[in-house]
Amino acid sequence: MTLFLTVIWKEFRQIRRDKTGLRLMIALPLAQMLVLGYALTTEVKNTSVAVFDRDGGPMSRDLIRVVESNSLFRFRGHAGSEEELRGMLDRGLIKLGMIIPADFSRELERASRPVPYGPPYGTGMDGAGIRIMVDGQDANSAGVARGYLSAVLNQWAAAHLRSRLEAAGISPDRVRPVSVDTKVLFNPLLKSSWYMVPGIAVLLVTMVTALLTGFSIVREKEAGTLEQILVTPIKPIHIVIGKAAPFFLIGVVELIVALSIAQVWFGVPFRGNYAALLAFSSAYMLSSLGIGILTSTLARTQQQALFIIWFFLLFFLLLSGFFMPVENMPGWVRTLTYANPVRWFMQVLREMFLKGSGFAELWREGLAMIAIGVCVLSFAVLKFNRKAG
Amino acid sequence: MSLRRIATIARKEVRHVLRDWQTLAVVLVMPVMMLFLYGYALNADSRDIPVMVELPSPTPEGRIVAEKIDASRLFAVVGTVSSAPDPAELFRRHGIRALFRFPPGFSGDLRRPGGAGIQVLIDGSDPNLGTLIRNAAEPMLLSATLDAIGSGQPRVLDLRTSILYNPDQRSALFFVPGLMAVILLMISALLTSIAIAREKELGTMGQLLVSPLRPIEIILGKLIPYFFLAALDGVLILAAGRAAFGVVIAGNPWVLALGSLVYIFAALGIGLLISTIVRRQQHAMFMALGATMMPGVLLSGFIFPVESMPVALQAVSRALPATYFLEIVRGVILKGIGLRELWAPISVLFLQGLALTAFSVRKFKVKL
Repeated sequence: MTLFLTVIWKEFRQIRRDKTGLRLMIALPLAQMLVLGYALTTEVKNTSVAVFDRDGGPMSRDLIRVVESNSLFRFRGHAGSEEELRGMLDRGLIKLGMIIPADFSRELERASRPVPYGPPYGTGMDGAGIRIMVDGQDANSAGVARGYLSAVLNQWAAAHLRSRLEAAGISPDRVRPVSVDTKVLFNPLLKSSWYMVPGIAVLLVTMVTALLTGFSIVREKEAGTLEQILVTPIKPIHIVIGKAAPFFLIGVVELIVALSIAQVWFGVPFRGNYAALLAFSSAYMLSSLGIGILTSTLARTQQQALFIIWFFLLFFLLLSGFFMPVENMPGWVRTLTYANPVRWFMQVLREMFLKGSGFAELWREGLAMIAIGVCVLSFAVLKFNRKAG
Repeated sequence: MSLRRIATIARKEVRHVLRDWQTLAVVLVMPVMMLFLYGYALNADSRDIPVMVELPSPTPEGRIVAEKIDASRLFAVVGTVSSAPDPAELFRRHGIRALFRFPPGFSGDLRRPGGAGIQVLIDGSDPNLGTLIRNAAEPMLLSATLDAIGSGQPRVLDLRTSILYNPDQRSALFFVPGLMAVILLMISALLTSIAIAREKELGTMGQLLVSPLRPIEIILGKLIPYFFLAALDGVLILAAGRAAFGVVIAGNPWVLALGSLVYIFAALGIGLLISTIVRRQQHAMFMALGATMMPGVLLSGFIFPVESMPVALQAVSRALPATYFLEIVRGVILKGIGLRELWAPISVLFLQGLALTAFSVRKFKVKL
């Protein structure tokens, strides 16, 4: 036992002496968090729009004004022809192009003409046509931007219809039998940072624990000091655990720092329970430390260790739902993600932060992390033992 | 400058690459692996989002509307409750993304002036999904209710949307061409800087420099193999992307080739610059990964839209070669545009490459 403690003590001393490494360990993740917190946004803002208005009447001008004044869009002016509009899309100057046909005013008048009997509007024919061209390269942004634009246009149309009906003395309720009141829970302003920042914290903790553990063992391998320790009475398993223990602590510290930044700087509310968070994080770090140890058995040099961990991380991160929901992946890929510890911890941390979930809701995710962690860790230790022995 | 001597260095470098399994894995396996990962993992197309319905009195109208919600492409009703005293708990426990709450007198309200009110509670924790649901809920409920009471729908506007460049809205079409920007950067900047830093670290660079070889010959000899490797990877991605995801080049392949060449030139310039600054492989790796790959992936618009970033980060984005290359590669492959629209990003990349190489070669000479 004392021997084991000695290994841990030695490791701590080594970490403390490496001033550059220590600085990198603390400063780099913080800097990353600050930049990434702003950069990784899936919000769709400032969508640039241009219009080709062939009608030019007061109604079409009113419609354009509504789009122009909406803060979600950047209005890039009028195009003189359809080709010009298409050219603006081609050159990437705009993402949305609207074409208002020459007969817009006439069609609008027809489509919203109040009639005293039957359905109190138009004659059930098509409405006044507006053509919209969307830059569809990025399916996500295109979908959201399109949704915003049609919401704005339909609102305008509803208001227009309402005023026409009222002017004709018909109750507008007949057109709108329901009113829909949407309320967003957990993240009322739908801020991207509230979702991404806890995810970045997962990323940082993973990098620090896996990478540093791997590096610290491989460095001793490279320097030949691992051989020296292996011939002492210390058991290989104690070496491994002694090596991993300090990085477990560093991981916890890193997590606390990351959570503080998330709350203080980015204003992300933490609605969960800190004790539960610590428990879940410990369960997760079994896996990330295990990956670090496993890497050290595969790599001979630090450069190799970096490449291997990079491979792992890329896989895990892309299949974690960090960028896009796991539910959208094809079935077999989704099955793969069950073995991905990052996926579970990502979900746990996000739900704890925003929804305030705890053991009652997240025990399955917790069990999954423990199961994966125990597997990875025991495999890594076995492999280390065999190499050492 | 002698071609023969450059070729000798290049041959030596090729041997290095062929003997190193790691580099080979990075060059050959990584691009294909990343292609599949990005192609499958990043799918923005949400459908059958799990939702619940709170229906206090199951009248025919209420049930019809609930069925319409379930039948829609976007939502799947995973449960119906008659009351939800603590809605947040439903979200936490069942992982639903929205709760549609109908009032007790829904059917009666529909025929009364003022109409019925439906409340939609949305889980905003994933803002992307939340926005999608918020935009879609009202039009869907309105048309479902009008259908339920047998009234036609007012159609004041008829929005005819045409989706350009990626009409089926497949995420793979967006990510696969973009991946070229990442892979080419990795080969040109990361591998090159490591290769040069390795010779420095091992001291063999000093040996090369005291030989009759001139510094420019050493640099060119080292860069040429990576130039071809990068070009090979570009072709590899295009071929695999076409076979697996049906990504077809809509525009002129020669414009794409030209764009790729100037991009590789600029990226090699970055690799060269890093290798003149650092002395050790590890530092080269950190710089290439931290200062080149990360911004190249995250700030270039490869995944995240640049327009939504803060102004300062947008400025950083405008300085990255990857940003310009993405414009070129997506422009040619998806939009089918040519030199007339793309001369600007191509010239920017060429100038960046020129500036970076000129600066690095000078620095390299001074340091010897």
